[in-house]
Amino acid sequence: MALKRELYQALEDVVGQENISEAAVILGSYAQRGRPRFEAVTLPKTTGEVQAIVRLCNRFKLQFKASSTGWGAYGDAGGPGVVKLDLRRMNRILEINEKNMYVVVEPYVIYAQLQAELMKRGLNCNITGAGSNCSALPLAAHQGIGHLSVSGSYGERNQLALEWVTPDGDIVRAGSLGSIGQWWCGDGPGPSLRGIIRGNVMPMGGLGVYTKAAQKIYHWPGPATFPIEGVSPHYRPSQIPPGFMIRYISFPSAEKLSQAAQKVGEAEIGFILMGFNPGMISANIATNNNEDLAYLKQFTESVQGPGFLIIMAGNSPRDTEYKKKALQQIIDEHNGQPLEAVEDPQNAGGFMWRFIRVTSSIREVARASGIFAGEVGGTDVFPLMHQYILRSSPVKQRYIDEGKLLADGTDPFVQSVEHGHAGHAELLIRFNKQDPESMKVAGEIAQFANKTAIEGHFGVPGHAWGDAVHNQYGPHTSNYHKWLRKFKKTFDPNAASESTNYITADD
Amino acid sequence: MALEDYRSDMEMCCRCSICKFVPLEKLKEKQHSYVCPSIARYNYHTYSGGGRMGMGIAMLEKELEYDEKLLEVVYNCQMCGACDISCKYAMDMEVLEPINEIRIKCVEDGHTLPVLDSVINSLRTQGTMIAGSKARRGEWAAGLEVKDITKQQAKVIYHAGCRVCYDKDMWKVAKDAVKLLKVAGIDIGIAGESETCCGGRAYQMGYEVDFLNQAKKNMEMIKKSGAEILVTGCADCYYAFKVLYDKFDLKGNLEVLHITEYLARLIEEGRLKPTRKVNVKVTYHDPCHLGRLGEPYLHWEGKPVPGHIRIFDPPKEFRRGTYGVYEPPRDVLKSIPGLKLIEMDRIKEYAWCCGAGGGIKETNPEFAGWTARERIDEAESTGAEAIVTACPGCEQNFRDAIKENGSGLKVYDVVELLAKAIEKGGH
Repeated sequence: MALKRELYQALEDVVGQENISEAAVILGSYAQRGRPRFEAVTLPKTTGEVQAIVRLCNRFKLQFKASSTGWGAYGDAGGPGVVKLDLRRMNRILEINEKNMYVVVEPYVIYAQLQAELMKRGLNCNITGAGSNCSALPLAAHQGIGHLSVSGSYGERNQLALEWVTPDGDIVRAGSLGSIGQWWCGDGPGPSLRGIIRGNVMPMGGLGVYTKAAQKIYHWPGPATFPIEGVSPHYRPSQIPPGFMIRYISFPSAEKLSQAAQKVGEAEIGFILMGFNPGMISANIATNNNEDLAYLKQFTESVQGPGFLIIMAGNSPRDTEYKKKALQQIIDEHNGQPLEAVEDPQNAGGFMWRFIRVTSSIREVARASGIFAGEVGGTDVFPLMHQYILRSSPVKQRYIDEGKLLADGTDPFVQSVEHGHAGHAELLIRFNKQDPESMKVAGEIAQFANKTAIEGHFGVPGHAWGDAVHNQYGPHTSNYHKWLRKFKKTFDPNAASESTNYITADD
Repeated sequence: MALEDYRSDMEMCCRCSICKFVPLEKLKEKQHSYVCPSIARYNYHTYSGGGRMGMGIAMLEKELEYDEKLLEVVYNCQMCGACDISCKYAMDMEVLEPINEIRIKCVEDGHTLPVLDSVINSLRTQGTMIAGSKARRGEWAAGLEVKDITKQQAKVIYHAGCRVCYDKDMWKVAKDAVKLLKVAGIDIGIAGESETCCGGRAYQMGYEVDFLNQAKKNMEMIKKSGAEILVTGCADCYYAFKVLYDKFDLKGNLEVLHITEYLARLIEEGRLKPTRKVNVKVTYHDPCHLGRLGEPYLHWEGKPVPGHIRIFDPPKEFRRGTYGVYEPPRDVLKSIPGLKLIEMDRIKEYAWCCGAGGGIKETNPEFAGWTARERIDEAESTGAEAIVTACPGCEQNFRDAIKENGSGLKVYDVVELLAKAIEKGGH
């Protein structure tokens, strides 16, 4: 259906002629294959423009959906009658507060941009594991758990004050922003809206539009710019900055891995700690799929069992020395074995920078076939999350054996968050998307993970989005889904904020 | 090849948006972090490499009708290949090739822009893409006493290119190039009035048949001349002769060199000795067609291996910009006494385009100027007095943008600066 001319004109008055389109060629590129198309795409520049678009959608009984960098189908329309807000023009870093260690960004600042600016000031930010190509708004990129979360926490915990255009078009300034006009606190003075706004895994564009947000930032002990040389895709630093070290350690058992990861947390020596399998290490270094397969074979044959990748960053020579000794002791006590290719001076710097800048997630997930799936575990105490992913993952091997998935090293990955205060685990699968059987498997794995989570009381994982999944988990988890629906109804009385990937108000 | 042949490449796009930015490993600050002029100027995802992949599939599926907006998107792209390089940092898929095929399909289906038709008409009738040009093609070489390869044998042909031949302001660069080669003792010749367009831009505008006709004509003349080396003063021509002619198996054994490659070689061999001081602080702009697009064409024929990972039999090497011509122009500049070279943020394989390519200068001068201004601002931010490049297309576009918007920045060709540094007699 075409937009009413009156509405189109009103939207055009808000954003200007150049920044609204309903041309087929424009709409087509905002709908992933086979998905419904938006009625129009708008490119707002300010919070005021976002508010005006939202209000118009409410008035004309249409839905709207906003996204920033827009990776994934969450940003797509769930059906007809939806107006897109592409937040690309809202791309400013508004404040870097070095003294109080927070930063304020608009939605289309990406992590790579933010990290680069921070490093010049001796600071750093957590980056979502999906990659530094994603929005640096701490509410945009799913949970925001990533490689740096062991030392740099994640979205929910880092988020401070924010500006929110509610589904019916009010502007809410939450946290300290709402009371004293400052960005340093997400929870007040006054009541906190953090839980309502975020839910468990973010509303995925289904509860209004987040237009600005502050987040906590961290100390960076490295150089202002990493000394990267070479021509794509063969980048590597000319030297490894003093105090930095990278290791991949494999262990004789998952139990030993888990214990060692906890010890690393207790010793607070990890700058990055990711329980990657050899497949994720091979994808990181390989510059193409053929190389990837060769490295996978080499690395798989070189490890004794599940492992983790650790990067340490010393703040002083003494600190570096302490960290090295502590790691060695942990390796010795848990019968760890290094994967020498990772610490090889020819490779170490490149590995290090790709993991710190988080540039290789695309290689890891999408290069094989352009698609990936799996399960995104929850965030709870490290051993519980480790147990969860181990119990839900054997099904992957079965499908590999049946030829329905890529045999890419079957271990799931588990990572430490906040020095072992919490853990998070995921299981990645890659497959040929042209094969209907493989596509079916992706759904089956998610269902198996849900069953495991519910029966084993592992909590709600990060891949819980949409009515059906929330309805599945809610009754086992304090009926949280009923609360989500109440929030949805209260803040979105006209159901204007398209929420296929969040929750609808329908009971 | 046709658009359909790139269906699986286009289907690989996962919409991650890395095509919009410089390779993320190299991103050093927020400013100058975008790499694609088209998405940077027009903002809709559609204008990006990823958006164009979706558009290509929709065209194959006949989900899109030709209309004004479709053509506006198709032709508002400099074909600079920056999206292709950023994507291939991570992915094994073609990006620029299908974008080019979209244009070829548009032309085949009879949907193009009137201004391009006029440019192509000029190519067909006059052998040049500079429509309405009044000058004579070989006039730039008056008084040079250089061999005419249509009448005399020469080992090396210097191909000046349309943008030089029909722009008197550019003649000096071509004259300097020939003089330098003569100083170095090279057996050099030109085609003069018989030189015609390389056809490269026609191909990038989607006119494949016209390009092939032009390429065949050129190669016939070159073969007849017996020359072994063709040297171009223009990056567009370099890309055409070296990469596109090879792609269509027309190049044969002809060695194609950009003038900066040849000069760097001659300096290294001691045949040219820059001794005069040229006290200037410059920054170097990598022309897209010499840099990332200038790497050799890789012939490959094979088929995908069935399975869950995109590999091919035999293995396919992708052109990722790794082996573009980046160092020779810099080597020439570094050889000049007194010259100080300062790099911009976006260089080599992720250089920001000058804005003139892909027919944009003809179809959308405003966009060409906008793109050039972005680059001029970047160059100015280095503190350089001049932006130096190695392509007349870039030089013209920078000069036009400076003229329109004002800037103290000077524009030079690498050749001009080297000529200043060479004493008469070569040292």
